[in-house]
Amino acid sequence: MSRDPQPQAGGPRIELREEAELVTRSLAGDRTAFGALVERYAAQARRVARAFLRDPDDADDAAQDAFLSALVKLEQYDPRRPFGPWLMRIVANAATDRRRRRSVRSAEPLDPGVVGGGPRPDTAAERSALSERLRQALAELPERRRLAVVLFDVEGYSHAEIAGMLKIPEGTVRSEVFHARRKLRTLLEDWREPS
Amino acid sequence: MKEELPFDHEPDAQLGAALREALAPQGHDAFVARVVAGFTTPRAGSWDVLAGWAGRGIAAAALLALGAGFAAGRVMQPAASIEEALLTAPADSGTAAAAVMRGDNPPDASIVFAIRP
Repeated sequence: MSRDPQPQAGGPRIELREEAELVTRSLAGDRTAFGALVERYAAQARRVARAFLRDPDDADDAAQDAFLSALVKLEQYDPRRPFGPWLMRIVANAATDRRRRRSVRSAEPLDPGVVGGGPRPDTAAERSALSERLRQALAELPERRRLAVVLFDVEGYSHAEIAGMLKIPEGTVRSEVFHARRKLRTLLEDWREPS
Repeated sequence: MKEELPFDHEPDAQLGAALREALAPQGHDAFVARVVAGFTTPRAGSWDVLAGWAGRGIAAAALLALGAGFAAGRVMQPAASIEEALLTAPADSGTAAAAVMRGDNPPDASIVFAIRP
């Protein structure tokens, strides 16, 4: 199954041909073209990096490493394929490397109240609290599961694309997404239901 | 929220939106500027590098060949003839005798006998 790999809200979808052209221009030293690629994929790369690294600064550093690493490897990019999955694989590697290099502290234990329900997140403060609890819940997931659900439900990549990025069988991706959703949906349901 | 199915092919829009908000990074423009500031021209392809070197390489090779040819020419230059050495060198210098010894062919007898001892 193939779906649009770039469902990110806002910003027009960059066609494959246009991406290839931006890559070609970047290779020729066109900073503006590289900037256009960064502009398009920055948010996605930062979210995916953050799925690995809880600390936002660490995640941003990893995303930056990934973009600059992609720039160095740009010749290896196959312009007949979408740029997103290729870049996200580099982001995943950069985030893994960064975490390996640094002794990132382990995720804090999940707050017992995380899955315990709460009021509907109508206000900004409540939505912020929900976000924090989702981040905590994500941190509790095994890394591959966490990344699979973010790539599938947030970034909109297909199971096949994620399998390619993570170098695991497609069926494993489905399983990881399923288990991650089960936990995260419970949290969301508890927030939705008035107590 | 969608029904939980193990073989769900579609993204969960609600869960996705909540996660997107939870993972939303701040300072998009600053981040983009930071990354673009690190832009350097990507490494050129190996053929481009070789092509860049070709001009200078050919010039250097030509100069080297010229120098080597000149040096070889100097080394390979035939020594002055025995007769010339006999006529120009002082009789008591030993140079003439050495030239006679080195020579492949015997010197012209008229020249040898014409030299005063």
